[in-house]
Amino acid sequence: MKAPAMVIGLGSPDRGDDAVGAAVAERVRGVVGDGVEVLTREDPTALVHAWHGRHVVVLVDSMISGGVAAGTVTVRRAGTHDAPLPTYAFAAAGRGGSHAFGVAGAVELSRTLGTLPEHVAIVGIESTTFEHGPMSPKVEASIDDAVAAVCAELASAGIATKGSSTKGYEAGTCA
Amino acid sequence: MTHQLKDGGQVLNVGMLARVEGEGGMHIEIKDRKVVSVKLNIFEPPRFYEGFLRGRKYTEPPDITARICGICPVAYQSASTEAMETICGVTTTAEIQLMRRLLYCGEWIESHSLHIFMLHAPDFLGYDSVLEMAKDHADVVNMALRLKKAGNDVMELVGGRAIHPVNVKVGGFYRMPTLTELEGLKPDLERGLEDALAAVQLVSTFDFPEMEQDYNYVSLRHPDWYPLERGTEIVATSGVRFPVAQVGEHIKEFHVEHSNALHASFDGEKYFVGPLARYSLNFDQLSPRCQEAALKAGLGETCRNPFKSIIVRTVELAYAFEEALRIIDLWTDGHAPSVPVAPRAGEGIGASEAPRGTIWHRYKIDADGVILDAQIVPPTSQNQASIEADLRLAAEQWVDLDDHTLSHRCETAIRNYDPCISCATHFLDLRIKRS
Repeated sequence: MKAPAMVIGLGSPDRGDDAVGAAVAERVRGVVGDGVEVLTREDPTALVHAWHGRHVVVLVDSMISGGVAAGTVTVRRAGTHDAPLPTYAFAAAGRGGSHAFGVAGAVELSRTLGTLPEHVAIVGIESTTFEHGPMSPKVEASIDDAVAAVCAELASAGIATKGSSTKGYEAGTCA
Repeated sequence: MTHQLKDGGQVLNVGMLARVEGEGGMHIEIKDRKVVSVKLNIFEPPRFYEGFLRGRKYTEPPDITARICGICPVAYQSASTEAMETICGVTTTAEIQLMRRLLYCGEWIESHSLHIFMLHAPDFLGYDSVLEMAKDHADVVNMALRLKKAGNDVMELVGGRAIHPVNVKVGGFYRMPTLTELEGLKPDLERGLEDALAAVQLVSTFDFPEMEQDYNYVSLRHPDWYPLERGTEIVATSGVRFPVAQVGEHIKEFHVEHSNALHASFDGEKYFVGPLARYSLNFDQLSPRCQEAALKAGLGETCRNPFKSIIVRTVELAYAFEEALRIIDLWTDGHAPSVPVAPRAGEGIGASEAPRGTIWHRYKIDADGVILDAQIVPPTSQNQASIEADLRLAAEQWVDLDDHTLSHRCETAIRNYDPCISCATHFLDLRIKRS
């Protein structure tokens, strides 16, 4: 039987700040119980089927929204009852092929195909570099905040966690 | 958007071409219903991979060059490992070759299923994107995602990751998957094979424009199998054939003013690499089942209509599933994942069949294994002249179509190639100028 909730860290571990999604997911793995499956993925097309059948999904990814300090964590809801995300062709940010098939494309394709979970929260970490190499210091320093945001989203959807040592949150509550 | 020019001509600025990998531009100029100029402008910025490789160790190209492309990293890994092993005088084991072929099947499945259903099929079914297409053809899109996932799973198991695999090294792999792990892939691969064979029939029902081009088709060839991860020689429909090591004597790269990507010529002429060439030069090496599916879909043993490349890709998709299953059925545990490769000074070439055509790498290393020179020749670069020729013919053939329809026809003609004009950027600006 599938766990009712899923946390997915999206991004390439090679590409600077793009690694932050997986880093957050791995940290979350240690503070959630059996009711939450944790995945890391590089290919957004995989999301459309990966999250099918889940009640709650928290997706973690790097993002560039512009004019926002690096490391800032924001949350956007994109579930079945939420407003569609802006897309052009495949992606809101790009106008191309699969290279630009991003989160928005995956969410909206999933909505059309009926695989989109009721509760989807996208936790975005404002990023600065996607070149080969390590994460930038500010993004790496934001991991605790992003983990806390993931836990808060799970808690708000009624998903219990088994404990947390994340910054700013009491152990055992995670939210 | 149409602009009237001072001389009375017209420029139609489509603005972008979605569903291709990368950024470029297209300028078509028509005067008195005659096409006078066609240019494929690739303004993808130089990425300096060849320069970046100089000074690196001979063991590094599989990991470095795999990062050139998220769609066809295995093509880069296969060509680079073969080149280095050739230089160092090393022959890997039959099991390592089998596993490389399986990994390549994963890439073909990933890339072909993505292009066929999500980038190209919307052209034939009348949609702007797969998002629109999914509203009416959910079954097809769900199938495409399943097929692509099956390819991703092969890449993850054999390559270590679905994108930019990390398990490949000069001399073989860091780790061999176990038979138990491989057998876990079989249910999805078996379903994928059936889906792909059905998809051959599906795409054969599309409405294909009449267009034929008499290109010199060029492909790898191997006496024992359909070319994927390597071949023994390069063959052409012109009748020319030669060992892979001589490819640099026949294929020459050159710069044109309107493109940042190098063009290439084969014995001084434009040529064509890709599924149509592969299929037409190696039909006899396809499995009986795939041959039958192809013929039933209306293909001959050769295909010269570039719009029908979608059928050929789907035949190759089925073949990749069939090959993956065949290799898994052959597999036994206990084989060394790699053979030692000691450096020695020399120069060598490796070639493989990327989903979109022949790719080859040439390296020169010193006795310590330091790379002195590197040359990477990807398929889209080689096909630029053919793409321009197709656009010229399309514009001439359909000059009386309205701008919108002609532009769409031209965009589809570009997508016939599944061009990876990037690995860098994101759109193609198509302009038709009439006067």
